[in-house]
Amino acid sequence: MGSLTLLSPSGLALLALLAPLVVFYVLKIRRKRMRVPSTWLWASAKRDLMARSPFQKLVAQVPLFLEALALIALAFAFARPVSRSDAASGEHLAIVVDVSASMSATVGSSSRLDAAKKLARDTIASLPPGTEVMLIAAGRDAHIASALDRDAARSKAAIDALAVEDVEGDLGPALGLASDRLARLSRGRIVVITDGALAHPDALDGVAVPIEVSLVGEPQDNLAIVRVDVRGGTDPATKREEVRAFLVLASSAKGPRDVYVTMREENASDILASRRVLVKPGEKLPVVMSFEPTPGDRGKGLVFDVSPHDAMPIDDVAFGRVPSADKLPVVLVSAADSGPIWLKRALSSDPSVELSKGKPADVADGAALDPGTLVVVDGACPDDPGGGDLFIVHPPEGRCQGVEIGKPIERPSITSWSPTDPRLRFVSLDGVGIARANALTIADPKRALVTGRDGPLVVDASRPGRAVTIVGFDPGDSDWPLKASFVLFVRDILEEARQHRASGVAAGTRTGAPLLVDVPSTTAMAELTRPLSRAEPIVARGGLVVVPDVTRAGLYRVAYDKPVRRTIVVPVNLASEAESDLRRTLAPRSQGPVTVHEAADRPKAYADHAWLLALLALALFIADIVWLTRRPAKREAARKSATQGAP
Amino acid sequence: MAPSSGRGHLLDAKFVRELDALGRRLEIRARSGAMGEHTARKRGGSSEFQEHRSYAPGDDLRRIDWAAFARTDEPVLKLFRAEEDVVARVLCDASASLDFGEPKKLEVAQRISAAIGYLALSRSERAQLFVGGEGLVSADSPTRGRSGLVGLLRRIDAIEARGKTALAEAIDGLLRRAKRPGLLALVSDFLDAGPVTSALSRAASAGHDVALVHVFAPEEASPELSGDFTLEDAETGELVDVTMDAQAIEAYVARFSALGDSLRSFARRHRASYVRARTDEPLESVMRRFVARSID
Repeated sequence: MGSLTLLSPSGLALLALLAPLVVFYVLKIRRKRMRVPSTWLWASAKRDLMARSPFQKLVAQVPLFLEALALIALAFAFARPVSRSDAASGEHLAIVVDVSASMSATVGSSSRLDAAKKLARDTIASLPPGTEVMLIAAGRDAHIASALDRDAARSKAAIDALAVEDVEGDLGPALGLASDRLARLSRGRIVVITDGALAHPDALDGVAVPIEVSLVGEPQDNLAIVRVDVRGGTDPATKREEVRAFLVLASSAKGPRDVYVTMREENASDILASRRVLVKPGEKLPVVMSFEPTPGDRGKGLVFDVSPHDAMPIDDVAFGRVPSADKLPVVLVSAADSGPIWLKRALSSDPSVELSKGKPADVADGAALDPGTLVVVDGACPDDPGGGDLFIVHPPEGRCQGVEIGKPIERPSITSWSPTDPRLRFVSLDGVGIARANALTIADPKRALVTGRDGPLVVDASRPGRAVTIVGFDPGDSDWPLKASFVLFVRDILEEARQHRASGVAAGTRTGAPLLVDVPSTTAMAELTRPLSRAEPIVARGGLVVVPDVTRAGLYRVAYDKPVRRTIVVPVNLASEAESDLRRTLAPRSQGPVTVHEAADRPKAYADHAWLLALLALALFIADIVWLTRRPAKREAARKSATQGAP
Repeated sequence: MAPSSGRGHLLDAKFVRELDALGRRLEIRARSGAMGEHTARKRGGSSEFQEHRSYAPGDDLRRIDWAAFARTDEPVLKLFRAEEDVVARVLCDASASLDFGEPKKLEVAQRISAAIGYLALSRSERAQLFVGGEGLVSADSPTRGRSGLVGLLRRIDAIEARGKTALAEAIDGLLRRAKRPGLLALVSDFLDAGPVTSALSRAASAGHDVALVHVFAPEEASPELSGDFTLEDAETGELVDVTMDAQAIEAYVARFSALGDSLRSFARRHRASYVRARTDEPLESVMRRFVARSID
């Protein structure tokens, strides 16, 4: 047994009650006043008593002593005095706490993270003095909640501040971080506290520092929405537009689950669609729901709910967004009055395109176009055009969207193109002859989509949040429009624009990944509203808002004012089958560099004496009661003696 | 014989009958020296013959037994038992400490004082009432005969408990006034820290036949108290904090017993009597022990 220490020193605050107790006793002894014939004999008796037992004066204070001792014992019991052993020894310890979504699973009112926090606090409390402790929160990424520190109070405060993130967990980065920090230190050790429901269980392998994994929580049944996809379409029967939501429910329960799946718009109580489904154990059940949208529904958030909820409510809810109208708006801008006939024909060949015409001035300077609009410019290069993706054909000489447009080149032959780029999917440029083209100069040669003998002919000038494609020649000056590849190329451009429009974001709709939201390139500041949070300002750069820390599932909102006030709703979901599986992927093992054990089986690093003190306090209280209710034992004998008188 | 006074609460008919019976058995060991109905221990002039002795020059020739001289030719004097007057002095303590008990100690002390006075007067002797407190509070003139009973009872009835106790001073004051010895009955609760027994010793030395009547209430002998008390002295106002537990009460009872022991010891040393009178006890029993000159 080692030295005594207090696990909860705050319990000593109970000692503050000693002051009022003493004050109470000082004030209390409100003696009953009684008139007697004479105090002579009483005073003499008192002197006799003092002479016989000098401590008699203290007898009156016995209850005070008993109560004070009981209070002290109780205070120390609350402070949890423990004697340490060497079970948790180690000069440097990294505690990795799993804060992934599965740690939010609850039993009663206590979550797995609550159990993990308690275990982490106990682990710190059991360490010998001088041990440096580092606390790492392991979500999808790792972050250091508390750097190596000898101050247990700071470490415990950091533990208290830990919160579950709605992300698919990965212990790999956290273990890598801990191992890196401990590698050069002596007697380093990593304690991992997790529920054992790991999406990436192999992360524990290959770490240089010994790892002790403590498992908290029990395996639980769970049913989760693991996939969400919302698309627009046309009902083949009614020929009317409709929104279809495709969900996948995955069950890790031992028995079948009879649940209701509902779809509603955010902040609305009306159910748009509802399905009752029976999900068998281990089954992944697709669920399709649809509704006919009104124009006002476009861009609004959708909430999908599986009820009744279970141990992990996070994955019982998923989020989507009502997609934009089915037809892609395209603005064909031309400097010439006649307009690009070939482009017009190619664009018109797509029945899902809503084509309109305009002049370069109509789209310049961030004109108020729908962000999903594809802007096709022929023979011009407007500054800062509004809309979404940008397709520029035969721009004039000079600088255009970061690309230097050079002098015309006669008969540039095509030497190569990039078939892996989505814009050139299924496109072959073999045999395409070009009479005249402007030389294009770009800083990054990899962004050349089509290259001729004298340089790039088609380049990708995209920037974050906006796809920009520049063709350096007039298709009318080539035989490309006569070939199918030209229509395919235009259709690929349209398809990419359609995809960007559908998502409204450049990347990331899962928790843990950065969220990229397209905004007009003129927007410098936007407003971000996270789920259940207040709006916060966020910087937009190059037509893109980047939200790096997306740890909560829900509907995010990015709002900007210019050129017109607009709010983009971005659904973010956990959508992780592995994370929603609350069964253990780790089995206890006691051998090797990685040991795994249940938290309850963790070797106790200390002996807790709180119960002994609590027992002592109880005994003192009982003694106090006995003392206060006692009866004088010698009263009868004394009475007889006084009445009869000694001879 | 019923008392002629209207003080029925002091002496009722039954009590008086008891006292009449007891009066014949009362022995008073001290004489005042004046002529009276009681035979004295010393020889003196009375009609009761005691013995003869030879004549010595200077003897009163009138006391020569001439008939004996004629028979024996030896002049002898005829000696008679002297007859002396007896004074029963009752010193009744009237300090504030007697204003306690149920019935009150003062009431009991008054009845005992009245009873002693009645015993004396019914035997045609003199009775004298003294009231003690912080010294001698009052001293009546001696009364004789049954005719003085009413006055005596009236004065006893007028006694009120008040003031402090200084029994030693009261006894000394009584001794200064009582030139001739007699019965000195001290009726008190003896709750006095002063040198009471010393004063009593002086009284005994002066030839007084001392009789102590210790009046006390049952709750004084065995207090039924529990808890924390501040006791206030009825006479001095002094305050004493006491936690009434078994030990405290035991110590008090021991002190109370010691008080009785000291009075009992005095009585044995000076051939005095000591009677303990509990306020809830029948007075006939107390007076029986008083007349028998017992030591309780």
